[in-house]
Amino acid sequence: MEHIQRRPTGVARASSGLMDGLQRWLPKLVVAPTFILIGIGIYGYMLWTGVLSFTNSSFLPSYDFVGLAQYAKLMESERWLVASRNLAIFGGLFIGICLLIGVVLAIFLDQRIRQEGAIRTIYLYPMALSMIVTGTVWRWILNPSLGLEKLMHDWGWTSFSFDWLVDSDFAIYTIVMAAVWQASGFVMALFLAGLRGVDSSIMRAARVDGASLPVIYWKIILPSLRPVFFSSVMVLAHIAIKSFDLVMAMTSGGPGYSTDLPAVFMYAHTFTRGQMGLGSASAMLMLGAILALLVPYLYSELREKRHD
Amino acid sequence: MTDVVRTGFRPSRIAIYGVLLLACLVYLIPLIIMLITSFKTPMDIRTGNLLALPTDWTVMGWTKAWSEACTGVQCEGVRGFFWNSFKMTVPAVLISTLLGAFNGYVLSKWKFKGSDLMFGMLLFGCFVPFQVVLLPMAATLGKLGLANTTAGLVLVHVIYGVAFTTLFFRNYYVAVPDALVKAARLDGAGFFTIFFRILLPLSTPIFMVSLIWQFTQIWNDFLFGVVFASGDSQPITVALNNLVNTSTGVKEYNVDMAAAMIAALPTLVVYIVAGKYFIRGLTAGSVKG
Amino acid sequence: MSQLELRDIRKTYAGALDETLKGINIDIASGEFLTLVGPSGCGKSTLMNSIAGLETITGGSIVVDGKDISGMEPKDRDIAMVFQSYALYPTMSVRENIAFGLKIRGMPKEEIRQEVERVADLLQISPLLDKKPSRLSGGQQQRVAMGRALARRPKIYLFDEPLSNLDAKLRVEMRTEIKKLHQRLKTTIVYVTHDQIEAMTLADRIAVLKDGELQQLGTPKEVYDTPENLFVASFMGSPSMSFIDVTVERSDTGLSVTVEGSDGRTLALPVPEYLENWAGNRVVLGIRPEHISQPDEQKRDNMMVEEGRFTVEVTEPTGPDVIAVIRLNGIDVQCRLDAEHPVEWGEDAELMFDMRKVVFFDPQSEKRIRPQ
Repeated sequence: MEHIQRRPTGVARASSGLMDGLQRWLPKLVVAPTFILIGIGIYGYMLWTGVLSFTNSSFLPSYDFVGLAQYAKLMESERWLVASRNLAIFGGLFIGICLLIGVVLAIFLDQRIRQEGAIRTIYLYPMALSMIVTGTVWRWILNPSLGLEKLMHDWGWTSFSFDWLVDSDFAIYTIVMAAVWQASGFVMALFLAGLRGVDSSIMRAARVDGASLPVIYWKIILPSLRPVFFSSVMVLAHIAIKSFDLVMAMTSGGPGYSTDLPAVFMYAHTFTRGQMGLGSASAMLMLGAILALLVPYLYSELREKRHD
Repeated sequence: MTDVVRTGFRPSRIAIYGVLLLACLVYLIPLIIMLITSFKTPMDIRTGNLLALPTDWTVMGWTKAWSEACTGVQCEGVRGFFWNSFKMTVPAVLISTLLGAFNGYVLSKWKFKGSDLMFGMLLFGCFVPFQVVLLPMAATLGKLGLANTTAGLVLVHVIYGVAFTTLFFRNYYVAVPDALVKAARLDGAGFFTIFFRILLPLSTPIFMVSLIWQFTQIWNDFLFGVVFASGDSQPITVALNNLVNTSTGVKEYNVDMAAAMIAALPTLVVYIVAGKYFIRGLTAGSVKG
Repeated sequence: MSQLELRDIRKTYAGALDETLKGINIDIASGEFLTLVGPSGCGKSTLMNSIAGLETITGGSIVVDGKDISGMEPKDRDIAMVFQSYALYPTMSVRENIAFGLKIRGMPKEEIRQEVERVADLLQISPLLDKKPSRLSGGQQQRVAMGRALARRPKIYLFDEPLSNLDAKLRVEMRTEIKKLHQRLKTTIVYVTHDQIEAMTLADRIAVLKDGELQQLGTPKEVYDTPENLFVASFMGSPSMSFIDVTVERSDTGLSVTVEGSDGRTLALPVPEYLENWAGNRVVLGIRPEHISQPDEQKRDNMMVEEGRFTVEVTEPTGPDVIAVIRLNGIDVQCRLDAEHPVEWGEDAELMFDMRKVVFFDPQSEKRIRPQ
C-alpha cells in the first residue's frame, strides 16, 4: 500500500529544454579542445611539413615549390644514406637483442623466483631515466682512456682495448648497447605480463602429455604470446625510429656523421644547417617508415578486435 | 603459470638464479658507476678506475654541477634548469591528465557519431614521429609569442601527451560497466555528476598511471626542449647535454655524473615510490586499443 | 501506478541494415506485470532501454498515462530500472546507493533517511546499509538494486534480466520475492528475461519477441496452451513441445493422424473436427510431454484419448516424474510419466495420448491452425 500516494518531486522535473540541449552537447564540447589541438597539432602540422618538403625552404619557410627536388637531394645525400643504414643496423640489433634478453629474463623470472619484485624493479629502472642521462653514463663508461679499458687494465687484462665510441665504424654499436640496456627490461615486463596471462591449465595439460619444460615454452607458450611479440616490436621500432636523445648525448652523431640517425639528420638540417625543405622531406620519410609498420599492425589489431 | 614448476631440480634452479643475478648486476652497474664517479675528485678519476671506490669522498662534483658548471655560455650550474623542468612538467602533467580523463570518459561512455574516428586519430597520434610536427610548431610558437618560454613547452607537452592520457582513461573506463552510467542517468544524474560522483571515485589507479607516465615522459623529454627552448627556459635534459658537451676547459667527469644524477633523481624517486603504476603505464602504453 | 502504451516502436541502429525493433505494439495496464521474453538478440533489451530513454527510438511513441515521453531524457521519465549486473555504484555504501537518486532530485535529508529506511525494511536489508556493494553476496546485491529502484517510487519499473546472475536456488527464492512484492505494491512492471519459467511464473501477461517482432501477447496460460506459432510453441515449456509431421486422414470414426514408432508399429490418433479443411494435407502436430503419459483409467473413455505401445529409447528421471523419449515419425518425442510407473529404456511401454490439448500448425506459415 506504500505506493499509492505519489510523492511530489517536482524540483528536478522543472529542467527546461535548454538544459537538455546543453546536456546533449556537453560530451562534444568537452572533447572539442582536444580535437582541435590534435587536429592542428598533429594532422595539420603533418600536412604543413608535407607541403614544406616540396619547397626550397632554407632558414625560413618559403613557398617556392620545387616538386620532389628535396627528396631527390635526400636520396643522393651521402649523410642521409649513412643515417638510413645506421637506422637499419641500430633498429635491427636493438629490437633483436631486446627481444632475446626480454624473453629469456621473463621466462626465467616466471619460475617462482624469490624476491621477484625486487629483481623486476632493478631490470626496469633504466626505463625511468632520460636517454640523455643514459647517454651521459654510457659515454663515460665507454670512455676510451678512462672507462672500461682502464678498468680492464687495472684488473690485469693489459692488452684489452675498447675505443668503439670514437671509431666511426663501430660507434653505432655503442649506441645499440646503451639503448638495449635501457629498454630490454621493458620488453621483459611485457613478456612477463603475457606469461602471467597464459592459462595455467595449458601448461598442466602439456605436462600430462609428457612435454619437457623447454619444449612447452618453445612450442606452446611462446607461440601463444604472438600479440605481445608484435606489440613489443612495434614499440621498439617506434623508439628506434624516433631515437635522437641517445645519439645526441653519446656521440652527437659523430665521429663525423657516422652515428647519424634520421632523427638526428632531420634536426641538424632543419634547425642548425638552414635546410628546412630537406629536413621536412626527411621527416616525411620517417613518417612513411612508421606508417609502413603501423598500418598493418593496427589493421590486424582491429581485425582481431572484431573477431571477439 | 608459476604453480607448475615445482619439480625443477637443483642445478637448473642455480643456473636460473645465476643468470637473473648477473642480469641484475649488468642493469645496476651503470647506476653504481654514476654514483661513485660523482663523489670522486678529478684526481681520483684519473688514477682509479670505473669501479674503484673514491679514496676521498667529496660532494664537490655535486655542488659544482648544481651551481657552477658551465652549460654553454653561462656557468651557473644546472640549478635553474632543474626548476625550469619542474615549472614545465607540473602544469603539463596536470593539464594533460585532466583533459585525458574527460576525453576518456566521453569516448567510452558518451559515444557520439564521430567519436570512434576521434579515437582512431588519437591512437594514430601516439605513433606519429614528432619530427613531422617540429617545424610548424616552432613557427606557431613564434607567432604566439611563446617561443623559448616555459608556457610554450607546457602547451607542446599537453598537445602531444593528451593522446596517451586519453587512451589510458578511455581503456580504463571501457572496462567500467555501462550499466552504472545507465543507472545513474535514470537516477537523474547528468554528464558531470556521473563523472564526479560515479567514475572519478573509481579512477585513482588510472590517475596514478597517467600522472606518473606523463611525469616521466615530460621530465625526460629532450627533443621538444632542445627545439622549442633556448637559454634560460631550457629544461634539465638540455642543460645536462650542454654541460656534458661543453668543450671548454678540462673534462670533469665527477661533475657530469653529478649533473646526470640530478637530472635522473626525480624520475628515479617516482619510479621507486610508485613503480607499480609506472609498469602498468608502460604496458598500457604499448598494448593500446 | 501508471499505464504504459508502446505504439509501433521502431528502432534501427546507425549503420545497421535491419530494424532491431519492427513496430512493437503493447498496452500495459496500470499495476500489470508484463514479461518480455525471447531468445538473445530478439530486441527485448533494446525495447527496455528505449522505454527507459537510454536509447532513442526511430519510430513510434512511448506513452505513459496518456503523455508521450518518447523525446524525454531518462531522468525526466520517472522510470526506474533494475539491471542484470545490478549496476550498484561501487564506491558508495548501500545507503548512499539507495539515496543517490533522491539526493539528485533534491529531496530533503530527513525525507531521504526515512525513505531509505522504509525500502530497507521492505527488502530486509537494514543491516547492510553501511556496507559497500563489493562486500555483499549476489542475492544481497540484487536486493539493494531493487531497493534503489523502489526508493524513487517511479511510475514504472523495468527489470532487465535481474535474476540471471544468481545461482539456481537463489533465483527461485528471489522470483517468489519479486512476485510477493508486486502483489503487495501493485506496481507497473516490465520484466525482461530469457528464462521462460521465470516469464510464466511472474507475469500477468507475457510478450514473446523474436527478431524484433512481437510473436504473441497473452496470459501465461494462453501463451502456453494456445501458442500462435511454432516459435512460441517451441520457446515456452520445458521440456519443450514436440513437433511431428503428420497427414490429416478421414475415417468412419472421424479425423485422425497416424504416427509410426521406431519399430514400424503405427497408431491412429484422433484429431478435432476443426481440421476438416485440412483432410488429406500435411500439418504439424504439436504435442507437449504431459499429453503423453501412462494409461489412466479415468480418461480411457474419452473420445480424444488413444493408447499405444512404443519402444522407450531413453528415460530421464526428474524426481516427481520421468521423461521418456520415444520416436514417432522419425523424431524424438518426450512423454511425461509418473515416477512410480515402471519404464525401462529399450523396452515397450503402454502410453496414453491425450489429444484434447494438442495444437496444430500450418507447415507453410508456421501459424497455429485455429478452431473455427
